[in-house]
Amino acid sequence: MKALVIDDSRVMRKIVSNVLVGVGFECIEAENGQVALDQLEAHSDVVLCCIDWNMPVMTGFEFVVAARKRPEWRNVTLMMVTTEGEQDQIVRALAAGAHEYVLKPFTPEVIIAKLQFLGLVDLKEMA
Amino acid sequence: MTIPATWEPLSDADSVLTIAQDLFSTMIDGEPGHLYPWMGERPTLEDPRFTWVDVAGSVATRVMLMAGRATGEQLTRSLLAMEESEPVSDADFADAVGEIANVVGGNVKSLVTNPGALTLPVVTHEEPDMSKDFCLLETYFGWRGAPLGVALWALTP
Repeated sequence: MKALVIDDSRVMRKIVSNVLVGVGFECIEAENGQVALDQLEAHSDVVLCCIDWNMPVMTGFEFVVAARKRPEWRNVTLMMVTTEGEQDQIVRALAAGAHEYVLKPFTPEVIIAKLQFLGLVDLKEMA
Repeated sequence: MTIPATWEPLSDADSVLTIAQDLFSTMIDGEPGHLYPWMGERPTLEDPRFTWVDVAGSVATRVMLMAGRATGEQLTRSLLAMEESEPVSDADFADAVGEIANVVGGNVKSLVTNPGALTLPVVTHEEPDMSKDFCLLETYFGWRGAPLGVALWALTP
């Protein structure tokens, strides 16, 4: 399975990618929402996007809105991974089409638990 | 200038300590116990770097991280899982300490009512001129023996 990690911080892209690779994902990266849209165009096999909120050029929220307008990406799971922890921000993102919300800082276990909840990882199967 | 009511919850350093300890234990050290309140006088930072994010809103606020270059390099190595002897580029340094400031700033922001948007991180080696602004809080931590500071400022429009 392929995942797209979207964050303007290379450090954070690496941390998130390491977690995803550890549970069997192949990861590609984007440093903002616009690059992420281009990556989705180029990689039709992406099943998961992990999305930061605050990024230059195009924010994560704008990316979610743009991605949800594309019927062919309807099955791509969108998970926000961000410091934006206010209730109204979370509600906005979920209403726009994000499936899950992870707050920074996080542990690998938090990300994996969310992926299990979303049905993207089955640790029993991996064992 | 008095502390804006919306930021009063953060005039107590314990809130910031809790945020910072959570960040360090989950994403930097992988275990708790390595970040602690700095005891004694205000420390002197060797070759300091200043990293901040601003929170827009009715009262614009700055969350600033202060650390010596060597400490910032150690933080960068920890975040990027680099070897102890590996040199740290300026780009990696700015990325790593910027992300730390971003996470602290985002969590600080979530504790107050009606905050605005968070800006992208800025990293400088010169202390920004804050002479017209109001310091809400300045506190120092120890991390693996080295001092690290966090300051919250209410910015003058």
